[in-house]
This record gives sequence, structure tokens and C-alpha cells, in this order.
Amino acid sequence: MNIQEYIESGKLELFLLGELTERECEEVIAMAKAHPEIQKELDSLEKTMFALDELTGSTPSKGVKDKIFQTLEEDFFNENEAGQAVITPKEDRKVKTLPWKAFAVAASFLAILSFASAIYYASKFYETNQRFTALLQDQQVMADNLDQVRLQNEEANSRLDRLVAGDFQRVEMVGETLPMQTDAKVDVFWDRQAQEVFVAVNNLNSLSADFDYQLWAIGEDGPIGIGLVDPGEKFTLQQMQAVADAGAFAITIEPKGGSESPNLEKLVVLGEVA
Amino acid sequence: MQEEEILKGLRARDRKTTEYLYEKYSRALFGVIRRMIADEDICEEVFHDAFIKITRKIDQYDESKGRLYTWMVNICRNSAIDKLRSKEISQSTKTETIDHFVFGMKGRYGTLDQVEGIGVKELMELLNEDQKFVIEYIYFKGFTHMEISEEFDIPLGTVKSRVRAAIQVLKKNIERI
Repeated sequence: MNIQEYIESGKLELFLLGELTERECEEVIAMAKAHPEIQKELDSLEKTMFALDELTGSTPSKGVKDKIFQTLEEDFFNENEAGQAVITPKEDRKVKTLPWKAFAVAASFLAILSFASAIYYASKFYETNQRFTALLQDQQVMADNLDQVRLQNEEANSRLDRLVAGDFQRVEMVGETLPMQTDAKVDVFWDRQAQEVFVAVNNLNSLSADFDYQLWAIGEDGPIGIGLVDPGEKFTLQQMQAVADAGAFAITIEPKGGSESPNLEKLVVLGEVA
Repeated sequence: MQEEEILKGLRARDRKTTEYLYEKYSRALFGVIRRMIADEDICEEVFHDAFIKITRKIDQYDESKGRLYTWMVNICRNSAIDKLRSKEISQSTKTETIDHFVFGMKGRYGTLDQVEGIGVKELMELLNEDQKFVIEYIYFKGFTHMEISEEFDIPLGTVKSRVRAAIQVLKKNIERI
């Protein structure tokens, strides 16, 4: 809409007649501010409205005027009584402005105070949040540990169950007569019927990462590798592969992962089935 | 006295300026209230309160948001509206006027006839029928332009342009009276 159209629209008249909403009023004010032509038209229309109001209006009674000025007399006018000039009113004004200043100072102080406390609590919150996160992590670790322990416990229980229920024979393997480790001692538990084999390490040196201990069941068909033995897991039962027939058990040191056939030069322990 | 001088004086709470303001504007402002409220006593009460409000709120008046007179008119108008909404006055006045108009008083400008202002009738005679109609309803009877549009089935744009045209005629002729 161009300026002339805006002027012609009748909006300015409605503005002066108090017919516009607050938002529309703001629009008219903004338009007048931006366009001098609109401001000029508004000013001249205002004069017309004033003239019309005056023409159609009527003078209020003398009583109203007296009452108004009596009311104003009480607290509005800056009267300088004995004709004294300017000083009294100036002081008056000072007194009037004093609480305003005090409020401003109080308000600023409050603002600073709340700003500072906002920062304080924000850092507190951050700290607490950090601690909370750390606690959550700890809790997670503990939960994981618990799961692991439970799993291990279940495994141990099931092994124990099998050991108690089965018909296991203990075969002692020792390294007394062998050159590798004379104090080596490992027990084999073998259930001939169920063909299940467990080993329990009593004493076995640890190996470098390149080698493993391998358990052999020696039967009529020669030695068969039935699994790797972990020397670190002492006095616990490690389950090995099934064996149906064996006259003796032996452990050798083999390259990592085990071999097809035993390296007899590195025979560590040997035990015959009774 | 120019508007700036008046404002300066009012803000300094100067008695002489306040008296000048009263002399210059009381007739027009009282007229604004009288157009809205029929009862003379209530009009004076509202005018008293509105004028006091004008002097007390002068520090809140913002020159950038319109002229002083428009601001004062708004205070008077709002005071009258507040009064009309209060329990003391029922809003029957306006409804009666519509009934009057619709049932048999067509073509007669009752309210206009009651205006005592000097030269008002002559001024109104310069308007054509359409213009006279909108001025009658908006200015004297306090209808909003939307109410006129709805009540008399005139498009809003037409009402606005008639208001504009009417005030243009009044503007041209008002100084001469």
C-alpha cells in the first residue's frame, strides 16, 4: 500500500476516533513516524477533530472546574507559597526522586545478587551432574561384575553337580620323573561312562604367550589332544574334550593353540589310569 | 501556548499551565464524554476524574505515540467506557437509539438535533446523506465502524471511506464557522 492509499484508507480517522485496536494503533504510529506525509495528515486531522469536538462540545459547569482545581491543590501543584521562587520546588523534586534512586540501587543490587547466585548454582549443578554421571558408571561396572560372578558361579555349580552325580576317577599327573618341571602336579578327573574329563591344576609354571599346555589322552590309538590347560586357573575344574578310552594322561608344552601330536621332548606331567 | 510549553509546564506541575490546559481543552473533552454518556451529573463526574488523570499521568505521555489532544481524548473516552461498564449505568442508551431509528424515526437525526453547538447543524448540512449517516452513528451515537457495517449491511471499506470523506468535508469547512 502506498502512502497516499494509506492516507485515503480512512484508518487515520478511525485512529483519532479511538476505533482501532492497540495493534492497529501501533501500526498507524509507526507509519506516521516513517512517513512525514502521514504524520502531517494525522496532525491536520487531529486539529479538525479538536475543532469538531469543541464545536459540538459544551463547557462543563463552574462547579466541576472548582472541584478539579481543589483536588489538584491538595497534592499536585508545585506551589511556592510566599512567592519564593524555584528553590522549594527543586527540593521537592529531589525528595520525590530519592525513593526512585533507592529503588534503582536496590534493584541493581538484587540483579547482581541473583546473577551471582545463578552462576553459583549453575556450577553446583555441573559438579553434581558430573558426580552423578561417575556414580552411574560405577554402578554399571558393578552390575557387569555381578553378572560375571553369577555366570561363573553357575558354571562352577553345574560342574560340581556333574562331578558329584558322575562316576569320576582321579588320575594324578606329576612331573617328578620328567626334566621340564619336577614339582608340576595336575589332577585329571575322568568319568569313563560319561566320557567327561576335567583337569585341576595344582602346580604348573606359567608359560610365555607363544606356548600352551596341551592335555593328551593316551589310548590304544596313541595320544589324542583333548584341550588346552590354563596354568593360571589353579584348583578349579577345567572341562576338557570327551574321552572314551585312555590308559594314561599327559601334558606337553606346545606352540600356541596346540598341536596335532605331542612334542614328547616337552612332556611336563604324566599319570597312568589305575 | 505551544504543545511543548504546555507539556513542560504540566510536568513541572505548574498551576498556570494547568489552568491554560483546562481553558483550552475542557469544552472539547467534556463534549467527548457527553457524546457517550447521557446523564449530565455522571458526565461531570467522569470529566473530573479524567482531567485529574491527565494531570497525574502526564509523565507517562509519550510524544512519539501521538499528539497530546488525541492522548487526552483517549483518557476521557476510556474513563467514560469504564463508567458505562460499571454498575451505575446500564447500557440501554445505545440500544434505545437503534430501536428509535429502526421503528419509525428513519431519516431524522435525533441526536444531531439535540446538539447545542453553534453552527453544528449548518456544518452537518454540508455532508451528503451517506456521510451524515456515518458521522451521526460513529461520532454522535458512539457506534463502532464494525457495528455500522454489521447493523446496516454496509461493507467495512465503504464505511471507512465515507468516514474519511465526511471528515474531509468537515475539515474544509470547520474553520469558516
